[in-house]
Amino acid sequence: MSWELFAVFLGSSIRLATPLLLAGIGEMVSERAGVLNMSIEGMMLTSAFAAAVGAWATGDPLIGLLIGIIAVQPVALLQAVLSNTLRANQIVSGIGINILVLGATTLAYREIFGARSRAEIPGLAKIKPPLLGDIPVIGSAVFEQVWLLYAGIALIVATALVLRYTSVGLAIHAAGAEPKAVDKSGLSVARIRYGCVLFAGLMASLSGAFLSIGDIHTFTEGMTRGAGYLAIASVIFGKWRIGGTVFACLLFGAATALQFQLPALGINVPNALLIMLPYLLALLAVGGLVGRQMAPAALGEPYRR
Amino acid sequence: MTDPTSDSARIAAEPLLSLNAITKRFGSFTALSDVSLDLRPGEIHCILGENGAGKSTLCNLIFGVHRPDGGSMRYRGAPFQPSGPADSLAQGIAMVHQHFSLVGDMSVVDNVLLGRARGVLDRKACAAQLDRLAGEYGLPLDPLARIEDLSVGERQRVEIVKCLIRDPSLFVLDEPTAVLLPDEIAALLDVCRRVAASGRAVVLVTHKLAEIKQVADRVTVLRAGRVVATSDNPAAEIDALVRAMIQGSVEALDESTASMLGFEPVRHVDHGPAAVQPKAEVLQIDGLTVTDHQGVTRLDNFTLTVDRGEIVGVAGVEGNGQSELTAVLAGMMAPTQGRIYLGDQDLTGRSPREITAAGVGIVPEDRHAVGCVTGMSLAENIYLNRLDEFTRFGFLRRAALERDAAAMMQRFDVRARGPGAPFSSLSGGNQQKAVLAREITLPNLACLVAAQPTRGLDVGAVAAVYGHIRAACSRGVAILLVSSELDELLTVADRIVVLYRGQLMGACAADPSRREVIGAMMAGQPL
Amino acid sequence: MTAVNHGRGTGTWPKLTLRPALLVPVAAVGFAALVGLALIAAIGVPVSGAIAAFVDGTFGSLYVIAASINRSTAFALVGFGFVLANRASLTNVGGEGQIAVGGIAATAVALYGHVAALPLGLSFILPMLAAVAAGALWGALAAVLKVKSGTNEVISTLLLSFIGVWLLYWCVQSPALLRKPMTSSATLPESLEIPDETKLPLLTGDYSFPLHVGLPLTLVIAVVVAVLLSKTVLGFRLRAVGLNPVAAHRAGISYARTVVFALATAGALGGLAGALMLLGEQYTLKDGFSSGYGFDGLVAGLLSRGSIPGVIAASLLFGFMRSGGINMEMAAAVPTALVVVIQGLIVITLAGAALVIERWERS
Repeated sequence: MSWELFAVFLGSSIRLATPLLLAGIGEMVSERAGVLNMSIEGMMLTSAFAAAVGAWATGDPLIGLLIGIIAVQPVALLQAVLSNTLRANQIVSGIGINILVLGATTLAYREIFGARSRAEIPGLAKIKPPLLGDIPVIGSAVFEQVWLLYAGIALIVATALVLRYTSVGLAIHAAGAEPKAVDKSGLSVARIRYGCVLFAGLMASLSGAFLSIGDIHTFTEGMTRGAGYLAIASVIFGKWRIGGTVFACLLFGAATALQFQLPALGINVPNALLIMLPYLLALLAVGGLVGRQMAPAALGEPYRR
Repeated sequence: MTDPTSDSARIAAEPLLSLNAITKRFGSFTALSDVSLDLRPGEIHCILGENGAGKSTLCNLIFGVHRPDGGSMRYRGAPFQPSGPADSLAQGIAMVHQHFSLVGDMSVVDNVLLGRARGVLDRKACAAQLDRLAGEYGLPLDPLARIEDLSVGERQRVEIVKCLIRDPSLFVLDEPTAVLLPDEIAALLDVCRRVAASGRAVVLVTHKLAEIKQVADRVTVLRAGRVVATSDNPAAEIDALVRAMIQGSVEALDESTASMLGFEPVRHVDHGPAAVQPKAEVLQIDGLTVTDHQGVTRLDNFTLTVDRGEIVGVAGVEGNGQSELTAVLAGMMAPTQGRIYLGDQDLTGRSPREITAAGVGIVPEDRHAVGCVTGMSLAENIYLNRLDEFTRFGFLRRAALERDAAAMMQRFDVRARGPGAPFSSLSGGNQQKAVLAREITLPNLACLVAAQPTRGLDVGAVAAVYGHIRAACSRGVAILLVSSELDELLTVADRIVVLYRGQLMGACAADPSRREVIGAMMAGQPL
Repeated sequence: MTAVNHGRGTGTWPKLTLRPALLVPVAAVGFAALVGLALIAAIGVPVSGAIAAFVDGTFGSLYVIAASINRSTAFALVGFGFVLANRASLTNVGGEGQIAVGGIAATAVALYGHVAALPLGLSFILPMLAAVAAGALWGALAAVLKVKSGTNEVISTLLLSFIGVWLLYWCVQSPALLRKPMTSSATLPESLEIPDETKLPLLTGDYSFPLHVGLPLTLVIAVVVAVLLSKTVLGFRLRAVGLNPVAAHRAGISYARTVVFALATAGALGGLAGALMLLGEQYTLKDGFSSGYGFDGLVAGLLSRGSIPGVIAASLLFGFMRSGGINMEMAAAVPTALVVVIQGLIVITLAGAALVIERWERS
C-alpha cells in the first residue's frame, strides 16, 4: 500500500468513525450514569433527517445543524422520561423509539422530498487545521475533515475533563455505580440521569447531522443503518472509558473504511462481507470480553428509593 | 460512664427535633403509629426495638427519605417537612444508614465530596479536612484508599466522616454496630459520646442492650410501630425496657433466645449428649483455599470437620471468608485448593444439584439473592430443588406440589395466604422458615450449612429456626452454623471456630466464659 | 375495575373484570391508531378515503385476507419465540437475522438439496427443518456469548441480525452461493425460484384464497409453546432462571442450558418464520427478504405481555395492518411508513405504561 493510499484510508477511517465517536461518547456518559439508550439509533436518525431538511430548506447547513440538535431533544427527553420517571424497560422503550423514528422520518421524507428525491443538500464545510493540515502527503488526506469532527473532539476532551475533575463527573459516576449513595448525599439521581440522557441526545444529534449534512450531503431512509448500535457496542468494548470507547469507534470506522479501500487496492473481497465487517467485529469485540464487572453496577436499572 | 449530674447540665431542655403523633403506612401495613418523641441537643437518645419494630422507618422519616402519613415534626421550634434527604442535610441532619451507601470503586475523598462539592473538585483540601476530623474524633482513614479495599469497620468510618464533615446538629446512626468488632464498637460509642459532648443530638438505633447501658442518656422503645416505653435513666431500667421491647412474643422465647438478646445472662444450653452416637465425621473440609478473580485470598487453607449430631459455629466479623466458605460448600464457587468430603464422598467442585443430591442442605446468608425466587409462589420455592419429584413426562404436577407444600407450611409454621401465595408477600421470618423447611427436609439430609440463619428475623421466628436446627441435630445431622452474632453461636453451637481474614484463628468450646478469647480471635489475635 | 351486576334471579353471575394487562394494550393500539389518523389528516389526505383504502386492503378480497394471515403466521412465530425467551428474562431482538438465515437455509435446501422428488411432504419439510436449524444456531450463538462472556443478548442478537441480513445479501449477490445463474448483466441479484414441490401446499388448493399449511402449523406451535410455558418443568425452569438465576442455579437448574434452550428455540422459531415466508410466499430469495417481519414479530411479542393468545391477536393485527398500509399507499398515497409509526407508538406507550399496570394490578 502506498503512503497516499494509506493516508486516504486513515482519513476515511476517521471520517467514518466520527458519527460513532460523537454518539458513542454521549452514550458512554449516559451509561456511566446508569441509563442505557437503545434509542441512540433513533436520535441519530432524527437529527440526520431534521438537519437535512433544515439545511435544504434554508440553504444554510449551520441552521440545519441547529435544527437537528433541537429536533433530537424531545426524543431524548422522551427516553429520559420513560427510563427515569416511568421506570420503563430501557431496552424496550429505546427500540420503540427507534421504530417510531424510522417510521416518522420515512413518512416525512416522502412527504417533503417525495418528488425531489436525492436532492443535493448544502453541507457543512471541511477545514484543514493549521500545522497538521500542512504535513505533506497526509496533511489533506487525513486532516481535511468536516469541522464538526474537530468540534466533536473538543467536546470529547471537555467531557473527559468534566468526568475526572468536577463534582458533576463524580455525581455521574456515582449515579451509575450506587444511586442510593447519590440520593442520600442530597443530590437527585433523576436530575443527573435526565441530564446525561439529554447530553447523549445532544451528541447523537451531532452524530446524525454529521451523517447527512457532514458526510454525504443527502438523506436516505433509515440511513443510520445500525450505527447507533455500533456506538453502543463501542461503549461496551471500550469498557465505559473514554479512551477505550474512542479506540473502539476508530476500529469500527477503519473496518467500514476497508469497504472502499480494499477494492481500490484491487483486493477482491465480497462487498457484503466488507459491509458486514464492522458488525462482525463489534460482535467479536463485545463477545470476546470477559470483563462483565466493568459495566456500571446500576446500568439499566431505574432508581427507586 | 459519664456522671449523671454533668449529663443534665450537658443536655439542653429545649428539644432540637420533636415528633408528634407520627404515623407511617406502606400500603396496608402500618410501620409507625402515633409515635412521639423529643431529641435534645447534647444527648444520646437510643431507639430500641426488634427487627421490624419500625426503627429504620423512623430514621428515614427524620432524614426525609419517607414522608409521614400523619402527625407532625418540629425542628428548632419550626414545622419540619423534609421533602428529601437534601432538605434534611441542609437543615443539619446527618445519618449513617444500616446499609452503607458508598460508591465502591471511588476513593474515600470522592465519596466524601459526593453531594458536597460544586464545580472543580479540590481533593487536597478535602483530604486535609479528613485528617482534622480524624484527630478530633479518633477516626483514622486513608483519604485516597478505594472503598472496595476497606474493611467493613473502615467503611463505616467513612460513612461517619461523611456525616461529621457536614457539621450536623442532629446525628442519626441506624444499627451501626451490627457489623463491627468489639473494639470497633467501643470506638464507635466513644465517637458518639464525643459528638454529643460537642452539643449535638445523637440518635442511636440498636437492639443491643450493652450499648444502651454504656452510652444512652434516654431510651425510646418501639414495638410494632408504637412507642411502648421510654426511660430517662436507662441503665437502671434495662430489664423493664427489654420486657417492653419483646412483650407479646415473650412466650415464644426459649431460654437461649432470651439470653441471646441479653434478657438474662448468657447460659450455654446443653442439648443432650451427642456422644451417645458413635463419633463419625460427616463433613470434612480439608485445606480449603479460595482466591478471587483479583487474586485476593479470601479463604486460606481452612480445615474443619463436623461430626454427626454436632453443631459447629463459625464465628467472625463479616467479610472474613464466611461468604466464600458457604458459597464453596453450596457449590456456587469453585475452591482454588483443598477438598470437601461428606462421609467418604468427595464433593469438591460438585454442582449445587449434586451437592443437594448428596444430602447437604444449605441455608444461604443472602436469602433473597440465593435462597429463593421471590417472584414465584411459596409452594414453588419450597420444592425449588426437588422438582423432579413432581414431574411426570416433563409436566409439572401442580396439584401435588401445592398439596405437599401445604403440609410443609403446617409442619414448619410458615404463615401465608396459602401455598400459592407469592413468596414476596411473606414476612422475612416466614420466608426464612420456608427456605429452612426446604433444606432441612431433604430426604437424605446428612449435613446442614446455615449461614446467618436468623438475620433480620423477629424473636418468634428466631426461636423457631433454632428449634428446627436442634431437631435436625438430634436426628444426627451435622450442622455448620455460620454467624456474625457471637451470642447466637454461644447459645446454639457445641464448638466454635473463628475465621479471620480467611484463616482459622482457633477453636474452642461454645462456652460463654470464653467470650473474651473468642472476641480476641475475631480481632485477629491467635489463641 | 368494573363489576357488572345483572341483579336478576338468585344466580350469581361471574364478575366481569377489566384486567389492566388486557386493557392497556388495547388502549395503546387505540391511541396509536388515533395518532395515525391525525397524521393522515396532517398529510392532507382525506381520512375517509384513506380508511376506505385501508379496509379494502385488509378485507377487500379473499386473496388479501389469506395474504394477511400468512404474513401473520411469520409474525406470530417470531412473537412466540420472543415470549418464550422473555420468560427467562431474555430479550431476543434478533428476529430479522433469524428470519434471514432461515430463508437462506430453506432456499439452499429447496434448490440444491435434491428434495423436490421426496414423498410425504418431505420436499418442503426438509427445507423447513434446515431453516429451523439455522435459526436455532443463530439464536444459540447469542446464548453462548451470554453464558461464556456475559454479553448482553440484546446487543448480540441485534448485531447478529445485521450480520444475518448482510449474509443473505452476500448469498444473493454471489453466483457461487445462491444467486441464479448470470445469463446477462441484467440478471437480478436473487435466487432461482424454488421448485413447485417445495412450495407450501395450500389449504384450499385455490390460488384466489392462498392460505398455506403455515397456518395450522403455527396454531399447533402456539399450543405447544403455551403448554410448555405454563404446564411443564421446562417452563418452570425458564421462569426461575428469569426471575433469579443465582437461586435457580443453587436449586440445581442450569443457567447455561436454560439460556441456550430459550434463545435457540426463539431463533428456531424465527428461522421457521423465514421458511414460511420463502416457501409459502416469496419463492425466491432476494435482498430485503426479511422485510422488517422480525421487528413486527418482536412488537407482537411485546404487545402480548407474555400471553400466547395475545401474540396471535397482535400478529393478526399487524398482518392486516400491513396489507391495509400497502393498499393505502397505492390507492390513497399514504406512505406505508405510517404503519411503522403506529407500531413504534404502541411499543413506547406499552413500555411507559408498565408502571401503571403494575400499580393497578397490585391494588
